[in-house]
Order: sequence, then structure tokens, then C-alpha cells
Amino acid sequence: MYRHLFSRKNLGIPYMLFLALFVMAPLFVLFYYAFTNGEGEFTMLNLTGFFSDPNTLGTLFYSFGIASVTTIVCLLMAYPVAYILATSKLRAKSVILMLFVMPMWINFSLRITALKEILTWIEGSLAYHPFLNTVLGMSYDFLPFMILPIYTTISKLDGALLEAARDLGAGNVQAFLKITLPLSMPGILSGVSMVFLPAMTNYVVLDMLYNSTYIMGSLIGSYFAAYNWHGGSMIALILLGIVCLFTLLTRGIEEENTRGGMLL
Amino acid sequence: MVKHRKPGAFCRGAGLLLGGIAGLCVSGAFMTAGTVYASDTAGQEEEIVLRVSNWEEYIDLGGWDEEDTIDLDSGDIFGEQSMIRDFEEWYYENYGVRVRVEYSTYGTNEDLYNMLTLGDTYDLVCPSEYMIMKLMTEDQLVPLSEDFFDAEDENNYYINGVSPYIRSIFENNKIQGRPWSDYAAGYMWGITGIVYNPELVEEKDASSWRILNNPAYCRQITIKDNVRDSYFAAVGAIKSDLLTSEEFLEAPDYPERLENEMNDTSKETIAKVQEYLQDVKDNAYSFETDSGKADMVTGKVAANYQWSGDAVYTMDQADEDDFPLAFAVPRESTNIYFDGWVMLKSGIRADAAKQHAAEAFMNFTSRADNAIRNMYYIGYTSVISGGEDRRIFEYADWCYGAEEDEEDVTGYDLGYFFSGNDAEDEESRYVISAPSDQIYRQLFAQYPSQEAISRSSLMVCFDDEQNQAINQMWINVRCYNIHDVPVWVWAAVGASAALLAVFGGRKLKRRR
Repeated sequence: MYRHLFSRKNLGIPYMLFLALFVMAPLFVLFYYAFTNGEGEFTMLNLTGFFSDPNTLGTLFYSFGIASVTTIVCLLMAYPVAYILATSKLRAKSVILMLFVMPMWINFSLRITALKEILTWIEGSLAYHPFLNTVLGMSYDFLPFMILPIYTTISKLDGALLEAARDLGAGNVQAFLKITLPLSMPGILSGVSMVFLPAMTNYVVLDMLYNSTYIMGSLIGSYFAAYNWHGGSMIALILLGIVCLFTLLTRGIEEENTRGGMLL
Repeated sequence: MVKHRKPGAFCRGAGLLLGGIAGLCVSGAFMTAGTVYASDTAGQEEEIVLRVSNWEEYIDLGGWDEEDTIDLDSGDIFGEQSMIRDFEEWYYENYGVRVRVEYSTYGTNEDLYNMLTLGDTYDLVCPSEYMIMKLMTEDQLVPLSEDFFDAEDENNYYINGVSPYIRSIFENNKIQGRPWSDYAAGYMWGITGIVYNPELVEEKDASSWRILNNPAYCRQITIKDNVRDSYFAAVGAIKSDLLTSEEFLEAPDYPERLENEMNDTSKETIAKVQEYLQDVKDNAYSFETDSGKADMVTGKVAANYQWSGDAVYTMDQADEDDFPLAFAVPRESTNIYFDGWVMLKSGIRADAAKQHAAEAFMNFTSRADNAIRNMYYIGYTSVISGGEDRRIFEYADWCYGAEEDEEDVTGYDLGYFFSGNDAEDEESRYVISAPSDQIYRQLFAQYPSQEAISRSSLMVCFDDEQNQAINQMWINVRCYNIHDVPVWVWAAVGASAALLAVFGGRKLKRRR
């Protein structure tokens, strides 16, 4: 009788409840507000308004800019580190890896506050380079999310493939470009999605580092502060759409890559 | 030297996060304490649950150190436990009924309003004057009972203790024909101004809203990150010449005209404000919500647009590092603001017992010693002057009065606040002899001079249309306009898109 109680189906119930209450229901509310106006009537104005207002479009563009630059900076820093750590025979490598991941254990706003002091010390005043500061802050914050997945994929890489490449006459560079890089693509992609998407909305970093230009997150906040829940919900919905699109895209590339890997 | 330097509102300094955690813990503690409390008395007698929501860090939560004791001549004042618990005990002793206060906090007036719209119910909340006006217009408030205004009842600390100056403002400002005082009991009040470092900024520069876009202080000033405060400052700056002209100042209807000018939301003004704030954005250090105080104390900025209560706190903190700061009230105008207790219809629901408890809460926080505890703890200025009870004045003197051997002393007249304008012969009794520099410092921020008050203006509650226009202006200022994207950026975007397309295309072809 108890076995029946703990069947697979039943074990899923708590999560289903959670999903329905805290994911699906708010989503419906979001949809409702995004497509209605103050009188509760259906309207597309919020949607068309978003794409015809130079400010909201500009904010989207600016957020994209910050997120892209942050992602590139993180990738450029993380890949070599992850590669060296994963391929080296250092006994202390787990310690070094921990050193990179450790900042994640310290509270995020505390770290940004520390960064603020360091940057002020270097630049004199934070006010002159808001974009640079924001990118630095975000990179500092999200770097571990890029290192970890890349490190994992590279360390799981089958060494026999590299040996085979060498046997067939490939040099170091060629072996890296043809074997290691394509096979670490899944790690790169999950790293990119873990950095890019939060970087588009994490306005706390901007606030703390004194960037007075809004990104998507702060724009939503300002709509809600002005009691415009409908416009704010629409922006949140559009962001959600971008996230979905992004996920679909990376999944597509990932599938293609695994197939490519098999062809090798 | 000031007689007793206030160690400052020790609680407000905690950062956003620490504050948040503390808030959670505190409210959590209250929750548990409250529940235990409730089960103690369950079944014995009835218990009123009073849901109070207030600003964060806006009431004395007790737990003072020995050295925080305020040793007035008339007796010590000390915050042993939270004022909320004190109230519960006081209410039981006085009225024989148990009250349990469920205390929670909010961050902005807009947050509070959104929570109410979402259906959260509170009995007693403490919004700013414009939000009180909005709630009044929307008929969401319960009027104060007649008993609340009964001066004979000695438990009615509010009506017996509120400053005559504040009282006249609450009685003379009407919305839809009804004065604020019908619905609201004041709690804290203050004005807006500029905290500045006198070594870097001249007083005459700091005494104008135009300091915000003054290139002499490029990237050295922070401004409030909210649309109402920014709007007020910008209006003051763009109308500076008019507002400081002799003709305007001497007009017989100066106060009304000033209020009209400062609440001007005509299209042209909004456009000018936008232009001005865009300038400010490029000239200021940053827009800030909470970091301005710390940045001022650590010397990152030279001046800081601030509410007077926070200005007091900032100067107190800086004094601890022997880093004297000063406070200036712009000569154009200053925004006078009030936070007041109001009862919500959705919470009280015509429950007379509950309303009685809510009104008692307002009275209890208005008792002179409690008002002092709150002022000491949070740094803002209470609307209570004490009436017959002279302890509030004594406290102001305790904080800012000069030592007996002090040579450079100035008399600082607070008659307008303590005895009202009509009791002129009594005014001399409310003069603090303070060290002369206090006239530009904490004393000035805590109790602005009558001269500064004379150019204060309320900021009214804008209607939906005005709000929409002003918020759009704010978004225009804060957002990056897509038309401003430089050509090289578009070129770079185009190039990377093309690169991706070519790369992806090749891959697809290979797969086929």
C-alpha cells in the first residue's frame, strides 16, 4: 500500500503543485496584465508601444550590449583558465578551481561593494566610465558560471581522440581547433546562457556601480513604480520571449554539435 | 562643541542587504513572539490583532546600549525593548485589552500602494503626504474618531503634543474639501536640501538647485533616484531666476504662488525639466537610492541631494571621523514633506475596537519620550513638540545646545515649531543657544530655521495624466535612446551578424 503511495507519479506531485502555484499561475497573471489596459480590456498597445518607443528599444539595445560584452569578456577569461586547469596534471588544480569558484560563496552585494572600492581606487571616480564599470562588475560576478561548465566538458573529453589526431599528423593548434574546441561547445553554450541572460536584467550591479542608464530590469521596475503594471508586464513578457528564443537557439546548436561529434 | 554629540541613528547605516536581513529577522522575531504571546492568552480573553506597516527603520526597535541613554535633566530616556512591544504592554495596562501588533515594512510609497492594490490588508500605515492625499481621494481611509481629538483625555498624546506649526498645515491643507487632519496623524517631517563638504563646495553654490548641473562640481554630486524628488529640484533650478526675484518674494500671496510654481506640470515645464535632468545625468556622480549617505561620508562625492533626516544622519556619521559636513537649503524653494499615520478601510472594516487600538498606537508613538526615542533611533524629526511636556525641546537642546564655556554661540529660534506663530511673547522660551556652526549643520537639518521654512513648498499628489507625463519624462531621461546609437556600433553589430550568418551557413552546408 505504501509502495503505491511513493510511486513515481505520486512523488512528482509536490513539484507539480509548486510548478502550478509559483510558475504557471504568475505566468498567467503576467500574460493577463501584458495584454490588457487599465480598464481590463484586451489591447495590443503595450506590445506595439514597446517596439515603437525609441527609449524601450534603446534600453533593449543597451542591455544587449552590456550582456554581449560581459559574455565575451567572461568567455575570453574563462576558457583559457578552464582549459589549463582541465588539461594540466597539477595536483593542486582542485584547489585552484576552488579559488575561482569561491567568490560564489560570498554574498554578491558584498563582493560588488568591494569591487566598487577597488575601482574607485584605480579610476579615482566611478562616474566617468559607467559602461566599463558595469561590464567589469558583471564579469566579476558571473565568471564562475562560465568557468565551471567549460571546465567540466573539457575534463570529460576523451583523450584518445587527441592521441588519434596526433597520430594522424595534427599539430597542437590543429588538434585544439578540430577536437577540443568543437567538443567543448556544449560547455561554452551553457556558460554563455548562464552569463548572458542574467546580465541583461541584473540592475543591482548597475545601481551599485552608479550607471544611471536603465537596463531591462530597471525599466520594468520604473514601470511598476509608476503603477503601470501593464507596460511592465509586457516588458517582462518580451524578455521571457527572448530567453525562450535564446534557449531554443542554443539547444539547436548543441544538437548539431553532438551529431558533428559523432561524425568525427 | 556640541554638548552631547548624538552617536547617530545607529540602525540606519546598515546596508541595503544587512537592513533587509535584519528586517526579515526582526519581523520574523515578532511573528514568533506574537504567536507565542497569542497562545499564552488564548481562550482567556479576546485579543485584537493590529496590522501596522511602516517604512523600513522608522521606529525604535530597542536594544540600546548603556551609552545610548539620553540623560535629560528631567530624567533618562532609554529604548530597552521595541516600541511595538512597549505599546502592547501599555495598551493592556491602560485599557485592559490585549493587542498584538503585526508589524511589517515597505520601501517606498509606491511599493505600499502596489501592495494595497494587490489586496494586502493593513490597519495602520505611514505613507508620505502625497500618498495620503491619493488614498484620501480614492476613499480608502477611515476618518479619525472624535475621541482622538479630545484634549481632555491625557492618553491623547497626539493632539496634546503635536507642534502647532504642523497642526496648522494638517488642518489647512485640504483635498476634496476635507483637511488632512481628518484622516492623518503626523509622524515625522522634514525638508530637502544639499549636504555638502564645506572644504570643496561654497555655501552659496550649495544653496541653489542649480548646483546639480554646475560644471564646477562635475561628477561630484549625487541626486535622488526617484522621479518626484528629481522633478522638484529641476523645477527649482529652471525657475531659479523667477523664484529668487524680489518681486516674487515680496508678493502678498507668495506661499500660494510658490506652491503653484513648484507643482507646475505644464508641457513646457516638463520639457525643460527633461532637458535639465539630462544635463544633470551627465554632470552628476550618480542617481542614488541609498548609497548617497555612505559616499558622502567616505568623501567619494562633495555634495549630495538629501532629505533632512538623512542629512542629520550623514553629518553625524561624518563627525565620527572628524570630517565636518554642512547642510544647505536651496534659496529657490525646499520640499517640505510629512509622513503620517492613516487607517485603512480595507483593514479596519468598521471594527471599533480595532480603530481604538490603531488610534492608541498613534497616541503612544506621540508621547514625548517615545517621540524622542524614535528621533534618536532613526534621525528624522518628529512632528511632536510636546505641548505642556517640554522634553522634546529639552532633547533638541541636549543634542545641539552649546557647552557653557563655548564662546561662539548663536541663539537659534524654534518658536514657530514649539509655540506656534500666534504666541509671540512665549517665543523667547524656545531658543537654543547653539555653537554657531550648528546653524549650517545638524540643528539646521533637524529643525530648519523659520527663514528656510518660509520658502518651503508642498509637492501635491499629481493626477494620473500628470503622473504619466512626468514618468514618461523620467524614462526619457534614464533610458538609452535608440537614435543615439553611434554609427560605428551599428556597423559592428552588422558585421558580427554577417559573420555569424556566414559561419552558421557554412556549418549547415557541411552538414548536408
